[in-house]
Amino acid sequence: MNAPLPKRIWQWFTRTRVGRSIFRVGLPESNLERSQAMVSSFLLHVQPAKVNRHSLRASYSLGLGLISLYLFLILIVTGVLLMFYYVPSTEKAYDIMKDLQYVVSAGLVIRNMHRWAAHLMVLFVLLHLCRVFYTGAYKRPREFNWVIGVGLFLLTLGLSFTGYLLPWDQLAFWAITVGTNIAGYAPVIGLKLKYLLLGENVVGQEALTRFYALHVIVLPAVALLMVAVHLWRVRKDGGLSRPDEPGDIVQQVELKQLPTNKSYGLMELARGTTPQVGQNPEDEVFSWPHLVFRELLLFLLVTAVVLFLAIFWNAPLEELANPIHPPNPAKAPWYFLGLQELVSYSAFWGGVVVPGLLVTALMLLPYMDRQRKGVGRWFARERAVANTIFTVCLVTAIVLTIIGTLFRGPNWGWVVPWEQPPTITEGH
Amino acid sequence: MNDLSVRRFYGWFTALGLLVGVLVVVGYYRDEYREWKEYQRKFIQEEIRRASTPQQRALAESTPVQIRQILLTDLNRVDRCTTCHLAVEDPSYGGYPQPLAYHPLHEQHPFERFGCTICHRGQGRATTVADAHGNVPHWDQPMLPLQYIQASCGQCHEAADNPAAPELARGQQVFEDSGCRGCHKLNGVGGVIGPELDKVGARRSPEWLKKHFLAPASVTPGSAMPPQIFSETNLEAIILFMLSQTGESAPGYYASMRVIPSASEGQRLFQQKGCIGCHSIGDQGGKVGPALDDVGLRRPPEWMMQHFRDPQTVSPGTVMPRFGFTETEARALTDFLVHLRDQKVALSLPSLMSPVERGREVFRKYGCAGCHGADAKGGVPNPNAKTAEQVPGLIYVADGYTKDELKKRILNGQREITALDPKRPPPPLFMAAWAGIIKDSELDDLVAYLFSLKPKEENPGF
Repeated sequence: MNAPLPKRIWQWFTRTRVGRSIFRVGLPESNLERSQAMVSSFLLHVQPAKVNRHSLRASYSLGLGLISLYLFLILIVTGVLLMFYYVPSTEKAYDIMKDLQYVVSAGLVIRNMHRWAAHLMVLFVLLHLCRVFYTGAYKRPREFNWVIGVGLFLLTLGLSFTGYLLPWDQLAFWAITVGTNIAGYAPVIGLKLKYLLLGENVVGQEALTRFYALHVIVLPAVALLMVAVHLWRVRKDGGLSRPDEPGDIVQQVELKQLPTNKSYGLMELARGTTPQVGQNPEDEVFSWPHLVFRELLLFLLVTAVVLFLAIFWNAPLEELANPIHPPNPAKAPWYFLGLQELVSYSAFWGGVVVPGLLVTALMLLPYMDRQRKGVGRWFARERAVANTIFTVCLVTAIVLTIIGTLFRGPNWGWVVPWEQPPTITEGH
Repeated sequence: MNDLSVRRFYGWFTALGLLVGVLVVVGYYRDEYREWKEYQRKFIQEEIRRASTPQQRALAESTPVQIRQILLTDLNRVDRCTTCHLAVEDPSYGGYPQPLAYHPLHEQHPFERFGCTICHRGQGRATTVADAHGNVPHWDQPMLPLQYIQASCGQCHEAADNPAAPELARGQQVFEDSGCRGCHKLNGVGGVIGPELDKVGARRSPEWLKKHFLAPASVTPGSAMPPQIFSETNLEAIILFMLSQTGESAPGYYASMRVIPSASEGQRLFQQKGCIGCHSIGDQGGKVGPALDDVGLRRPPEWMMQHFRDPQTVSPGTVMPRFGFTETEARALTDFLVHLRDQKVALSLPSLMSPVERGREVFRKYGCAGCHGADAKGGVPNPNAKTAEQVPGLIYVADGYTKDELKKRILNGQREITALDPKRPPPPLFMAAWAGIIKDSELDDLVAYLFSLKPKEENPGF
């Protein structure tokens, strides 16, 4: 046999008693085994045994959801490693950052990976959201999965924001101060909400404890659960959206239509869209190896990029948090700078009404836009109106974020990034 | 699409797998290579070179390359300086170039109790040269230049008590003489026009301080502070004194070590404990106990020490009570009495001074000279003030005010100073309100002093 050595070793191992007990199916050789490989593996079984060719096209999905998932996994692994050292104490947290850098083996690289993967995750979740919008993939039957996706986007922001405070440096302290102040602008509940987040009126030990608990257990647990539901729904809603899929959910089987003189298997009672619905065998390929291989490749790529960033660029760490010396300007994390820019015009409109309306609109979108034309194609002509509205909002958000990030200097005044801002020495 | 169609990805797969592998290796090496290891290896080589016996050689060769650190729990510091500066405690490395130089004079501040950064500053946790020495972004405690190292003594010890820090004592002298407290509060004493200086040494660099003294507005736009004129020596000294004001408070063991037994500390104790009630110096004071001018001639220091511990053991039947002085206090009082013998200094005890003399001390204590000039003669610029663009001198206040009016004026101050030209910016300096800061008795003395300034020969009636 001419197979490469690793393959032969693998084949030998999966034929041993131990190997067979673990993997059940060895390296698949036949179509039957390919199906069995997918179904018998815990990690793979969330995916169908066969997958539509359209779903494999990188130019359609761009792999954005998968990249987000990989970044999330990297964040979990590096996050757990960081937890081995981190103590959520205002006395110790900053010193631990220094120790990670100076004495912990690979401590700096792990922190860098965590930081850059977190930023990338915010970016890629947003890009994934845009992809789903521009391909109209949120439409029936995927409406609710879109809502879960929007929830996951908000959770990603929450995860990033709560993690931002943990190094307890000036950057962390003031970004969270600014961020929670924005929350405080909400009418009626604003100040209560801010107090709930911080545990007191200012950022301090109470806030650090709460943000830590949210960051390492509450939000990740919820996010993990919602990711599972999100993926499950992708499968149950018929895989990735595509142009030629059937226009509607297959009609449900009404129990009363069934003869009553026999007992039924579970499959006969299952209702709704199934993976097989509307699938033409000609368009299908086996998930093993076509899907699995691509997924593995993408994982390697994401890992390589995160590693590369983490090795050559260090995560920022400023001076120890100092509540009496605010930097000027104090800026929120970059993904909230568009919001901060809006707030600088009007706290109420910019900090509450606009973001509140945007999130509500995103959540309700699949129930308002019910036309089924143009699903499964990028920038479909039939969706020109929706695409235009979305693009205008998106570009506005990007422009505001860029302004807030690069063009705002002391006292939130206008600065040009390529010119040195006037030196401000705070009066004693 | 069949199995073969994924073969076109094999190349990518291999390349990306290799890339991840290479990155892991690169990451590992960058993490594993740390510059301190190089310094430790050089030190071990030097130890091997110097070894004269096989045992010493074996010991040197078995020295592990590892982080060395001094954990200072009470000071909330971890100093890893000895990771590179390995020979600080080994006198045989005297004269070696850094990082292997020996650190002389550390007997009173053993490294295991004090570490390094409490005096030298810098970043104790860091293990690279640049980061540890602290001249890096986002670290506001760079190493203190050696020329200012005496500032660190002043973090814990009284400037005047420390014979090892003459520059610090000079700096304090310059600070008090220049009337800085007229505007700035330090340790609770001083004015309110300028900011408090309690932690200024931790916030400001020597360069900033220098600019601040020579041209205040260049570092603090709009500063009301007039440029200061110092000799080069005094400028360096006052910078050093400012750097000593870090607000660092070391607890427990360290607090107990703060007081340096010295003649000046002894004098403070002497005043504070009311010794003058029974004893006299220079014919001033009580007559119950013996005069102390020449006690140093009559008694050896050991006798005096024992006397302070328990008077009965050396002078049976004496009426002097046992005060329960600590050893440090007994040492300080003894030093003071020895100092009296040697220097024949006249004591200036407030209770024995005249109101005018005490008033002069009050004038000095609150830094009035900072604005009103030395001996209240004026001359400090206050641009656009109607009074000849200067802060007025005070030698003629007796002509313009009654004592009560003057007191009211000092207590209430004057926020708005009349401008010479209303179109120009208002005068930056103003009279602060001293109510709540100055004590009533001090105010009485100060007014007595100011009234005494009027030149005698002039005719008050013209």
